[in-house]
Amino acid sequence: MAAVATCGTGAGSTGSIAAAASKNNVTSFQRKGPRASGTDSGCSRLVSIAGTRPSVRNGQLLVSTGLPALDQLLGGGLAVGTVLLIEEDKYNIYSSLVFKYFLAEGIINGHTLLVASAKEDPADILQELPAPLLDDNCKKDFDEDVCNDKTPDSNIKMKIAWRYQLLPKMESGPVSSSRFGHYYDASKRMPQELIEASKWHGFFFPEKLSSTLNIESCSLTHGYRKLLQFIQNVIYEEGFDGSSPQKKQKNILRIGIQSLGSPLWGDDICCTENCDNSHSLTKFLYVLRGLLRTSLSACIITMPTHLIQNKAVIARVTNLSDTVVGLESFIGSERETNPLYKDYHGLIHIRQIPRLNNLIYDVSDVKDLAFKLKRKLFTIEHFAWSHCSGGAFQVIAIITRVTGLPVCNRTSPPTFQPPSHLTHGTQVLHLAATAFASRLVRHSEPLKQTGSGRILQAAGPRLWHDGRRQEAPGLLAIPP
Amino acid sequence: MESVLALGGFVLLRDSVEWEGRSLLKALIKKSALCGEQVHILGCEVSEDEFREGFDSSINSRLIYHDLFRDPLNWSQTGEALPGGPLGALQAMCRRTHPGPVTIALDSLSWLLLHIPCTALCQALGALSRQHAHPGGGSPAEPVRVLGLFHEELHGPGPLGALSSLAQTEVTLSGTMGQASAHILSRRPRQRPAHQTQWFSILPDFSLDLQGGPPLESQPHADPHTAPVDPTAHVTFNLHLSKKEREAKDSLTLPFQFSSEKQQALLRAGPSQATSHIFYEPDAYDDLDQEDPDDDLDV
Repeated sequence: MAAVATCGTGAGSTGSIAAAASKNNVTSFQRKGPRASGTDSGCSRLVSIAGTRPSVRNGQLLVSTGLPALDQLLGGGLAVGTVLLIEEDKYNIYSSLVFKYFLAEGIINGHTLLVASAKEDPADILQELPAPLLDDNCKKDFDEDVCNDKTPDSNIKMKIAWRYQLLPKMESGPVSSSRFGHYYDASKRMPQELIEASKWHGFFFPEKLSSTLNIESCSLTHGYRKLLQFIQNVIYEEGFDGSSPQKKQKNILRIGIQSLGSPLWGDDICCTENCDNSHSLTKFLYVLRGLLRTSLSACIITMPTHLIQNKAVIARVTNLSDTVVGLESFIGSERETNPLYKDYHGLIHIRQIPRLNNLIYDVSDVKDLAFKLKRKLFTIEHFAWSHCSGGAFQVIAIITRVTGLPVCNRTSPPTFQPPSHLTHGTQVLHLAATAFASRLVRHSEPLKQTGSGRILQAAGPRLWHDGRRQEAPGLLAIPP
Repeated sequence: MESVLALGGFVLLRDSVEWEGRSLLKALIKKSALCGEQVHILGCEVSEDEFREGFDSSINSRLIYHDLFRDPLNWSQTGEALPGGPLGALQAMCRRTHPGPVTIALDSLSWLLLHIPCTALCQALGALSRQHAHPGGGSPAEPVRVLGLFHEELHGPGPLGALSSLAQTEVTLSGTMGQASAHILSRRPRQRPAHQTQWFSILPDFSLDLQGGPPLESQPHADPHTAPVDPTAHVTFNLHLSKKEREAKDSLTLPFQFSSEKQQALLRAGPSQATSHIFYEPDAYDDLDQEDPDDDLDV
């Protein structure tokens, strides 16, 4: 964005100077290009569409997923032209909520929606979207939500690490308006006039089936084929792929597909392990991704992967999607009564981040993420252990703020993954107090160059790089 | 048990060899019939006479029985058999447009799973629970209940998972010492699922007798491994300080000595502060005499 601004102003100044100097002859130094103007003309190089912004890392156009915390974890947002796959939790409560946040964000930004489902009518899904939190009352709502779970420990004035009192905690509050991601109130519905003002297409699979359910029409590719044709028609007719020149402003198409792979779509990967058409779902994802890459659209798919019997299919589906986020809720499991997890409703696993036009992954180093659905807001936080007191808490608070690494003492031994540049997140921190006094910086793997050509420092920890991402190897010693 | 019938939608009754579910199914059918609802039964596993046994005539007159047991493959060609086989029978049920609440009992889903593909069954069940809820014409939603009996040992985890994800209520039959219990998992939309265990017994005339708890003879084993996990149990550093330790800690002089005014000034420091201040507090070993730098040397 900054680059465009400077050459915009540059063009303006040289253009005006050249025009003032010589009106008749065109000099070779006359810059041809977009003049500096506030509104984008047709020849502006960066498309400026409502609700999108370019990524700060590689300039990729991003849209918000509807959850600013999830945007932050995915590296700023969901890239246009990619698929976000949500692995459903067992009772499909939180994944449908994330699905609705995505659609609500589309309505607020004025994007076109395409909702496909085999279980619920898309009109009913749109009626249940959460209401957006407006600026004036959202700050009040958020503050009272935060105050409700403030523990007395968090008000300790720090004696040793007093300089860190001013550092902000993880950004989880509403920011100013005209922003990228919006906050939503899960307890209220979106106002009807906003829904009616938006443009949406619905695909309800049972309606598209012929009235007689004979065996042939339940074959696997039938439902997926119809859905792909529908998506392709919408993209082509509305001009999201640039085929028909759009007279008005370009827009994004947000596609939401609910419970793909469930038997209601006619796919039996959830029913048997050795199914006949096991490649139907993977073919669908492959063709869908091709459609998305050539159009200005972003897609969210929720899939009941806990029902898929063949684990190889899950691996293939993960490889064929761009961003994969898994939700694991604590309902019904033994973790529901575990006091370690009592503040949260479930865990979020970021299983895959795409590598778009890039050599490195944009992965956050934090691997322990938990979510909770507060009275109104859906928040994602580092899963941090908050049961300690006194000095240990100060130390842990510093370390959490400084490095973004959570400190977590789990009753089960941690699973150590082979050190790679993706996975030095979860490190169980024993002896936190002594670790603070004498920090050992041990590099577990050789330093590497990042894609942008920076060479990492050999000594000293790298703190607070770019918000929360850290490319340096582990700060703290891995316990023996 | 009232919640099972009150919620509507698809109710999955999971039974096993030890705890059979057909009597519970018949008890639920009797309850719906007594409420004045229309009851359709798709009978596949037992004959019609055997199914109707035990019901009195008033209830029997309300039951509409679709018989798939006698001639499932339509070999007799008499025209009595249901057209289209099992799938056709299900689709015929989807097309019912009688007003009023309807209960459909499927006896059993296991038999249907052996004859039609699982995906077709799931789609038909979805259509059944949706059909009457949104009839054309804008009349208010009428509750449709689909009770499906499912023998869970006959199937792998796949069909069970698929059907339970469709079900609004899942009733698993088990029990101890001759006393049957039903574990009811009800999923309301957009709410957390609710678990409930109900002990019951079925009387000879198929009415439900709900009991409070397990029989006295069977002592429920206290689960030792459901004790709450204490996160502070196996920590390698000391989390709790005694009073003496706390006093000692508070009185410890920090290596970086400064006064609280300096601390507050530094904390308050912001863009408004134009000038910079130097705070100097001499240490115990600091030499204040500027003239002789070697004064502190012990020569």
